[in-house]
Amino acid sequence: MARVLIANRAEIAIRVMRACQALGLEYVMVYTEEDKESLHVRLGREGGGKVFRIASYTDPNEILEIADYTKCDAIHPGYGFLAENYRFARRVTLRKRPLIFIGPRWEVIRELGSKINTKAVAQRLGIPVIPGSDRPIYNEMEAENIGMQLFHLQWEEGIKHPAILVKASAGGGGMGIEEVTDLNQLRAAYRRIRRYAKREFGDEGVLLEKKLPVFNHIEVQLVCSRHGERVHFGTRNCTIQSISRQKRIEVAPAFDIDYQYQFNPKEVIKKIIYYSLKMAAYLDYDSVGTWEWIVTPEGKFYLLEVNPRIQVESGVSGLIAQIKKQPRGVDLVKEQIRLALGEKLKYKQKHIYFQGCSIEFRIVAEDTKQGFRPWGGTITKFKFPQYDWLKVYSHVPQDRPYTIPSNYDPNLALALVWGKTVEEAKKRGKQLLEEIEIEGKNTQGKPIVTNIPFLKEKINVILRFVTC
Amino acid sequence: MLELEKKVLFLQKRLVYLMDIKGELFGDRLVPLQNWLDTLKSQLYTLSAAELKDSLDKIAAQIYLYEKEAEEKLTPLDYVRIVRHPFRMTLKDILENVYDDYVELGGEDECNIDPAVIAARATISRKVGNRIYTYQVMVLGHEKGHGEEFRNGGSAKPWGNAKALQFMQVAETEGIPIHSYIFTPGAFPIEDYPGAAQQIARNLYAMAGLKVPIISFISEGGSGGAEAIGLSDLRLMFSHGYYSVISPEGAAAIEGKLKEGEKAPLDLVRRCAEQLKITAKDNLELGTIDRIIQEPPLGAKSEDYAFFQQLKKEVIKATDEVVLSVKSLSALRAYHLKKNGLQDTSNIYIRWELNEKEKQKLVQKRRQKYRAMARNFYADLRSPWQKKVEEVKNYFLRVKTYFYFDLLKRPRRRLERIGEDIKAEAHVILSYFFSPFIQLKERFFPPKQKYYFKLEYETEVYETEVEDTQSNNGYVSPLAKVDKTITCPNAERCGCYDIWIPDLYTDLCGICPNCGHHFPLEYQWYLNCLFDKNSVREFNAEIASINPLGYEGFDAKLNQAKQKTGRHSAIITFDAKVMGISLVVVMLYTDFRGGTVGAAEGEKFVLACERARLLRRPLLAYVHGTAGIRIQEGTIGVIQMPKCTVAVREYLEAGGLYIVVYDNNSYAGPVASFLGCAPYQFAIRSSRIGFAGPRVIRETTGTEVPPDYHSAENALKRGHIQGIWDRREFRKNLYMALRTMGGKNLYYR
Repeated sequence: MARVLIANRAEIAIRVMRACQALGLEYVMVYTEEDKESLHVRLGREGGGKVFRIASYTDPNEILEIADYTKCDAIHPGYGFLAENYRFARRVTLRKRPLIFIGPRWEVIRELGSKINTKAVAQRLGIPVIPGSDRPIYNEMEAENIGMQLFHLQWEEGIKHPAILVKASAGGGGMGIEEVTDLNQLRAAYRRIRRYAKREFGDEGVLLEKKLPVFNHIEVQLVCSRHGERVHFGTRNCTIQSISRQKRIEVAPAFDIDYQYQFNPKEVIKKIIYYSLKMAAYLDYDSVGTWEWIVTPEGKFYLLEVNPRIQVESGVSGLIAQIKKQPRGVDLVKEQIRLALGEKLKYKQKHIYFQGCSIEFRIVAEDTKQGFRPWGGTITKFKFPQYDWLKVYSHVPQDRPYTIPSNYDPNLALALVWGKTVEEAKKRGKQLLEEIEIEGKNTQGKPIVTNIPFLKEKINVILRFVTC
Repeated sequence: MLELEKKVLFLQKRLVYLMDIKGELFGDRLVPLQNWLDTLKSQLYTLSAAELKDSLDKIAAQIYLYEKEAEEKLTPLDYVRIVRHPFRMTLKDILENVYDDYVELGGEDECNIDPAVIAARATISRKVGNRIYTYQVMVLGHEKGHGEEFRNGGSAKPWGNAKALQFMQVAETEGIPIHSYIFTPGAFPIEDYPGAAQQIARNLYAMAGLKVPIISFISEGGSGGAEAIGLSDLRLMFSHGYYSVISPEGAAAIEGKLKEGEKAPLDLVRRCAEQLKITAKDNLELGTIDRIIQEPPLGAKSEDYAFFQQLKKEVIKATDEVVLSVKSLSALRAYHLKKNGLQDTSNIYIRWELNEKEKQKLVQKRRQKYRAMARNFYADLRSPWQKKVEEVKNYFLRVKTYFYFDLLKRPRRRLERIGEDIKAEAHVILSYFFSPFIQLKERFFPPKQKYYFKLEYETEVYETEVEDTQSNNGYVSPLAKVDKTITCPNAERCGCYDIWIPDLYTDLCGICPNCGHHFPLEYQWYLNCLFDKNSVREFNAEIASINPLGYEGFDAKLNQAKQKTGRHSAIITFDAKVMGISLVVVMLYTDFRGGTVGAAEGEKFVLACERARLLRRPLLAYVHGTAGIRIQEGTIGVIQMPKCTVAVREYLEAGGLYIVVYDNNSYAGPVASFLGCAPYQFAIRSSRIGFAGPRVIRETTGTEVPPDYHSAENALKRGHIQGIWDRREFRKNLYMALRTMGGKNLYYR
């Protein structure tokens, strides 16, 4: 029986733990001092696994030490922290006592770690990418030249106020991106991002892209095995994001069939799934992964980036999927672990059906009116209603007060609803947001602030093209 | 009576001196003389003057005999003792006795920028027939004093050497010769601005092109400190002086691998002194000096007035010699010299001023002189046939470059420039003339707006291909093959995680991802990762280091180094390309005797400079590490400092680009000369640059330095280097430097 080290915290640690239990695997969990009240620690112990305290979730040395001490066979990195660190993946698989890294091959992670490289691969395969620079820019004159081209391009398209994005090649999750609306400011923005990228990622590659004023952020969920089998689990729409481009509402499938778009959504979805699979085949991709796309109101689509890991929002895709005659709902985390351990897929694309619509809300303690500033304090009451159409992933204990650790992002819970149609899912979502009970206060005695009002407002515009 | 008392004291002093220098030779034999003198002193007023005089004469005769005996048996270490003795003549003695009058510049005695260095405007006169001619000269040198503490034993501080440079330049402006007197055990090894090493390098660089005659006199020539004012047209040495790469005690400490504070056994010190070939005679044989000035037995002391008269003649003669060697003389004097030999100039008057042409010739001759130094002290492993082939090849290369650059490119460029000017002028006129028409035309036929255009730059921007920075040219460091972690030295301060070694030495390029600390990498990494793929072509690899002084046990060490590295010297010279730009690279690497520089290394460096000059290519000196001058080569090693600096100056004056990049540890001689004189010096992060290591500083100055004293950051703060480079950006920065820096005679300009 394989033993898995779960090298992550909170909600995803619990999800991985449950998947391990379902697969009959042993597991080991870790936590830091700040996280000792997190539910994943308690549930880990109750579930019969070993739980160790470590100093940091990002120190590979400590994590591998525990893996060796507990004789683990595999490591699940979750998302964030070490999940997309190809050096960690490489070390795990190439060390004297190798372990299975539950994720893609390290070469693939490295390949996809750079946006520039991802773009280059896509272009090689004839996959559309956002107009802009196609290789690292290392000097200002070049940057200005490209910037000018992008501005003229947009003027030609009739856009009155063009804008371009300056992005760090190694960035991700909304970090290292700056918008430029005035060509004279490009040089300064370019320098800022380059400095930031050099400091944060040790790579000063910067790329310039045309900024699309209105778009939808679409994802394609792929599941691939180590045996060259590749299937998709449909699409998601993750357009509702915070100002720092972090997702807040995810919907599966990506488009509302009943809504009249300017384009044929079925066509677009077919194409982006085709391209995603094509690229996965080219990379010899061998785990779960997400291909992120930008779709414009006119139905133009561009590859944005590839996330070689399990994602927070994998649940929504799982919720609408059904394999063969099994009941609806597929645990993609379970699939990921199973495939990483070397199993075959055991089903084909034609065996996967999709039913209804699912919406995920990320309940976060943040002040959406104050630039999404995280709120810190103690939660005294946190209660969800119970329905068969509702699924909640949370590490916040509901039976005792919980202080939000300030070192990590203030995510509290993922709430997933399902409905037969988009309208039903939306209705149930609204109902859920009304019924969540959450209370708490910070050290100044001020009551808790969450993003629930923001979610309530935004649920009306999901699957639509709206100018921000 | 007073006269006799003085004589007693004088004899006593001589006896003390004799005992200090060579006491062990005589054992108890000197005691009776000493007692006798003591008795005489106590009976000074009881004995008759005649009696007293008689006794004193006897004693004097005896002492003289003893002195002669001692003189014959002087060992190299005794010369060191003579030179360091407080009775030894100093520069002030020379100024007072050899020169007619002098004015000290930059301070006197204790009120001085650096009391260890004297700069003086002096006059010296010569009698020709009944006429007295007076010459103006600039006298520079170290002042040891007779035991005064503030003189610092003649150890020049960085600003002392800067003072010397300042007045050298004054002399150049005024066109008067420079006499430099070297009385130093070595430079004071502190890094405060302008920095010991950097200032010596600056001095050397200036002297390599100074347009006045420079004559140097060596009494105590302590390595780099001596070279700071020692690069000259004629190098004379006092017969009882020493000239060495390191003090014998220092050599003994290294040789005996002594711990700090441990005293070197006398035997070892003596042996080292002998091995280092430090005496005037040895140096004359090695060709590091031109002539010896004979001193009285046991060396010149402050009272040896007869010697100073002799010295005066020597000084004038030496200056004449230098001046005459470049002067176009009138016929009669030329005849006289032809008949009596160049050195007999006592009967004729020679003006010491030079005209422009003569100045050029002087500098040229000085360069040739240094170029020819130490040429017999390395081995060339090429067969005679190969040598011939190389010679022919070089000849053809020379013809080719002459044809290409001088005959084709230069006139074409001149034409182009003229053309550009005419075009620009015409543009102004035409736009005046045509602008009304154009405006008119645009009013009726508004031009279609052109959206996309590409700017053109005056200098073409080199199109780089997308580089796969992670592949490192397929090179994998041998260090990377261990499955272990390593702790970053800054872990405690910066909270760095331990780094997995295979990560560290592959795509992390040996750099801590958290704090940016640079771990040392082997020099092969740079050979493979810094330059364009397959562009490295080594040359002169067959020039090999030897053991020129027959230093005991050094042959074995040398062979060991050769076996370990598979190379023949501590320097690799090669042609390479960086993003398409060809350059000549010299690389000093630590694996071979700590990257020390000797005759072979110096020669290879000079040849590389010449090659870069010939091909109009930039010259990069990458210092993977250097511990200094190779002490086992003695002054042959020291002479590499001026020799290589002269080559650098020649290269730079030809309009090249010389970049020095320090890595790991770079210390001493090379930094104080051909590396430190570069206009562009950079350091790889976490490297250390300096003149002397912390231990030497502690031992010579008695002060403790902080651990980061020599760090690149501090070197940058002090202005010794112009920037710190990240190893990952070395290639890119180098490319930028090649594009934007340097003189006008680079082939790609």
